[in-house]
Amino acid sequence: MIDKRLLRLPGMRTIMTMLAGLALVQAFVILGQGHFLAAGIVHAWQRKPLTGIWVFVLGFAVAYTLRQAITWLRNVIAERFARKTAGALQRQLLAKMYALGPAVAATEGTGNLVTMALDGIPETQNYIELILNKILNMMIIPWVLLVYIFMQQHLAGIALLIMFPVIILFMIILGYAARDESEKQYAGFQSMSNQFIDSLRGLKTLQLMGISKQYAANVYQVSERYRKQTMSVLKIAMLSSFAMDFFATLSIAVVAVFMGIDLLNGRLSLYPAMVALILAPEYFMPIREFGNDYHATLNGKNAMSAVLAVLAQPVPTPTEGLPELTGWDHGATLSATHLNFTYPGRQTGVTDANFTLHGGQKVAIIGPSGSGKSTLLNLIGGFLQPAGATTPFRANGHPLAHMAQPAWQDHLSYIPQAPYIFATSIADNVRFYRPDASDDDVAAAVDQAGLTDWLKTLPEGLATRIGEGGRGISGGQAQRIAMARTLLDTKRQVWLFDEPTAHLDIETEAALKATLVPLFKDRLVIFATHRLHWLNQMDWVIVMAAGRVVAQGTPADLQAHSQPYQELVAEMRGEFNVQK
Amino acid sequence: MFKNDTWVRPDLRRYKNLLFWSLALGVLTYIAAGALMFTSGYLIDFAATMPLFAAIYVPVVLTRAFGIGRPVFQYLERLTSHNWVLKVTSHMRRKLYQVLETDAAFVQEHHQTGDILSLLSDDIGHIQNMYLRAIFPTVVAGGLTVLITLGLGLFDWRFALWVLLLLLIQIVLIPWWGLLIETKRKLRQKELNQKAYVDLTDAVLGLSDWAITHRQGQFVDEASATTTKLAASTHQSKMFQWARDFVAALFFGAIPACLMVWASWYFAGTQLTADWIGAFVLVMFPLSMAFSNVAQGIGEWPTYKTALTHLNELKPTTRTLPAQLAAPGAVKALTVSDLAFQYDAGSEALIDHLNLTVAAGQKLAILGPSGMGKTTLLQLVLGDLTPTKGSVTLDGVNVLQYQDQRTKLFAVLDQSPFLFNTSILNNVRLGNETASDADVQRVLEDVQLAELIAGLPKGVNTPVEEAGFGFSGGERQRLALARILLQDAPIVLLDEPTVGLDSITEQALLDTMFRVLAGKTVLWVTHHLQGVSQCDQVIFLEAGKLTMAGKPADLMEQNERYRRLYALDAGQA
Repeated sequence: MIDKRLLRLPGMRTIMTMLAGLALVQAFVILGQGHFLAAGIVHAWQRKPLTGIWVFVLGFAVAYTLRQAITWLRNVIAERFARKTAGALQRQLLAKMYALGPAVAATEGTGNLVTMALDGIPETQNYIELILNKILNMMIIPWVLLVYIFMQQHLAGIALLIMFPVIILFMIILGYAARDESEKQYAGFQSMSNQFIDSLRGLKTLQLMGISKQYAANVYQVSERYRKQTMSVLKIAMLSSFAMDFFATLSIAVVAVFMGIDLLNGRLSLYPAMVALILAPEYFMPIREFGNDYHATLNGKNAMSAVLAVLAQPVPTPTEGLPELTGWDHGATLSATHLNFTYPGRQTGVTDANFTLHGGQKVAIIGPSGSGKSTLLNLIGGFLQPAGATTPFRANGHPLAHMAQPAWQDHLSYIPQAPYIFATSIADNVRFYRPDASDDDVAAAVDQAGLTDWLKTLPEGLATRIGEGGRGISGGQAQRIAMARTLLDTKRQVWLFDEPTAHLDIETEAALKATLVPLFKDRLVIFATHRLHWLNQMDWVIVMAAGRVVAQGTPADLQAHSQPYQELVAEMRGEFNVQK
Repeated sequence: MFKNDTWVRPDLRRYKNLLFWSLALGVLTYIAAGALMFTSGYLIDFAATMPLFAAIYVPVVLTRAFGIGRPVFQYLERLTSHNWVLKVTSHMRRKLYQVLETDAAFVQEHHQTGDILSLLSDDIGHIQNMYLRAIFPTVVAGGLTVLITLGLGLFDWRFALWVLLLLLIQIVLIPWWGLLIETKRKLRQKELNQKAYVDLTDAVLGLSDWAITHRQGQFVDEASATTTKLAASTHQSKMFQWARDFVAALFFGAIPACLMVWASWYFAGTQLTADWIGAFVLVMFPLSMAFSNVAQGIGEWPTYKTALTHLNELKPTTRTLPAQLAAPGAVKALTVSDLAFQYDAGSEALIDHLNLTVAAGQKLAILGPSGMGKTTLLQLVLGDLTPTKGSVTLDGVNVLQYQDQRTKLFAVLDQSPFLFNTSILNNVRLGNETASDADVQRVLEDVQLAELIAGLPKGVNTPVEEAGFGFSGGERQRLALARILLQDAPIVLLDEPTVGLDSITEQALLDTMFRVLAGKTVLWVTHHLQGVSQCDQVIFLEAGKLTMAGKPADLMEQNERYRRLYALDAGQA
């Protein structure tokens, strides 16, 4: 139950020892509570003077209060430790995500990572608290009570001792059945909740098909079907806590009856019987509490494992000794030889790519969808790292295993098909690479990107909040904001574009192109596209098909001699061929 | 909060039997738990007087019965209450769907940011918890309070009132104290949680932007700022809860202590009555859980309240339409006359006095910058929007009069057609639920998907989103196209169906579209000129006005701007 990795957390052993000590003290306090209660009842039963009862009431009150106070104290101590540990894990996780880069979002899934950082960390904290409280309780308190009960009355002690493994056994057996069922149910719950959200999202489609009104009956039926499934699962899942309760309460009843018979025959006096009866429920309390939190414990354990698994992933390390690039000038070169990359679990990627790019070259990467254009661009940007211990890249002659090098990335700007807009103001989005940029510089960049007219229509101008939860913006506007972001940081001399105009109408694209082309001067521009007109501005073209570079050269050369290029361009031109 | 409520009160009247048994079994569970300790206590006290075995026979049987009764009642109570809540949930889901359905055409636009749709479905989950964790435990604890007071009242009504007071502290005072301290904090935590979600999404989706800035420290600080605040606030909540639980436990402990004193005094008369002392002292301990549940459940009240407010704020959209007519067998022409539209008097005109005629079987391409009225025009043609001025008519009859039978006249294919998470067959059949398997097969062949689908493990029964298999953008459009082919309406509206596709895929899809839609009237909104030459008419819409209109060939000859755009698109500029 206790994950070994937990014990390796800094400070875990010390805190466990301390809390175990408190649990031991608490066990004796519980004994005291039971003792005073039983003794008080015996006193009253013997019809001794009423004034004598106060000693027992006071004794009970002190023990009871002490017990609650220790619970409080233990919670506070455990939480303090768990919170610190979870907070540290949170920061480590984020630092790791940063170090791993965008590739981690691709392999782990964006939603997964967000859930991990948002819900997984509190679940881990909860798990540590549960281990420190509930499991320690179960390991210490019942055994102290059992020894005392055994000393008072052997038979009751033995009966309770036997019951403990029986309960554990049933919990395990039913727990397995319930786990399988509840996993099924969880999958069912997911699909149900997705199906319901699906029907809300698809409302417009349903309406266009003219069946949105009737579909309400379907929503109800699906939900009812899910209810029936859930109920049949719950019948089994809840058996596990039923079994635990059943054996615990039944053994209290059995102990009471046995002792009743012993008392009847004069083999036992009242105090030992009464104290055993009072302590029997306390003996079962820790395991019942643990049973109630069993699922939270499992969730916490899984959440912690997921976090630790991400933390254990290896990070690409920058190559030592790469001299700082002071700028990307005319003499600079970037080359790749035998560059390979495969996505885990998929066939696609880049196979044996070779190319050399210089200074202020304008490079187009073209090819059909899925031919590896984006992958190649991500490899050049250092967002993905080629597999193996080879050094396929060379920057100004320095061999490099991958391009996740600060010296290189400091000069990069990357504009994807759908640039990410942060949930903040337009100005802060534009300032992203240069948080210290002056208002004038921001205004100039925004103007260059052709956003001024649009900004005039916004009451709050540059301070308008966009992104998640903010004002909605069109694809063209997002592109222009990303452009402004790039334009503001003039020291970035290498521009990577991944189909930046795919979502734009032809006139917007023409306007954006008019803005961009003059700025290409003196920059290395690498441009993945499937719009033909961009080729007119390029001086090198890399043609890709199925992950391989099938042709490269100047557009004029390729047009004259390269069959793959001619075929691809003809296909891209489509019907425009006919009317030329 | 329940004033003008339409989400909780009506449901409390549903399935009254189940509701009654959920609550009754809850009370019975604790009665059995208390009675087990009560009879055991009596049994031991009484047995210590060494009576004949026959005399303890009844308490022995009762002890066993209550010992078994407690877990059985609890098990049944859990099943019954879950069953009731899930039944009510089905009603709530249908109701939420129906309310949103009244605004079906615009539900995406009106509920877009932050995925409000899934938040609404979460709200239903909160209401479920409100029943299971707050309302039911409170009613059960209330019932127990009444029973305990009445029971003690049989012996000594003054002492009964004193115990009532102590119990009321548990079910009224302590939860109230919790709400007083925690309400603001819980609401703040809810806000922080949403903000943390946005921050972390920003962090993950913006990783490529962050990666090239090399500001790791700032990234970690920004991404964890809100979660740190949230953790601090949760910490305060926990500290308060433990303090509250401590105080509640002390007050609860006062009850058995008082019972011990009272019973010693009240029952000390004879040995016969003294046998009851143990019973009265022990009866309260198993009930502590029933009372501590209340404070915990009520502690989440602010969450339930916001969920309920959200749901109650949703109002069905109503729209007045003229008297509805049956759809005509054939349509000769679609006419747009003097059409104008703006959302309200102050806002800009999205369509500005537009005139247009499309004869049956003609293809019309609609071009223009985004946000300049193209989609609005389609919404007016469909009748989803009511014009501010002018009309759209089919052979002289306003389209608003055909809304009930609209699917017989219009089919729509838009930028991102929605595919339901079900089989390919079901998705296509949405177009016409009476279509045979052969019909579905025919349209899949028409859109050139038949071969691809035949190669899938389960053919047309393959779910569209099954793990490891997803349709590409072009294939999704083809599936949606198959759907509207099955619908077989005479007028087809296409709203930028090829946006975001690469030019090769786009050309192939356009070829298919024009082939299968031959003979139908088509209004096609597009973002560039690929395929436009296959149309009978082209219009340019800017700020709601026509700025260019004519046959593609004529425009090519006569219009400078058209030629320039054409050259750009053909890769010649």
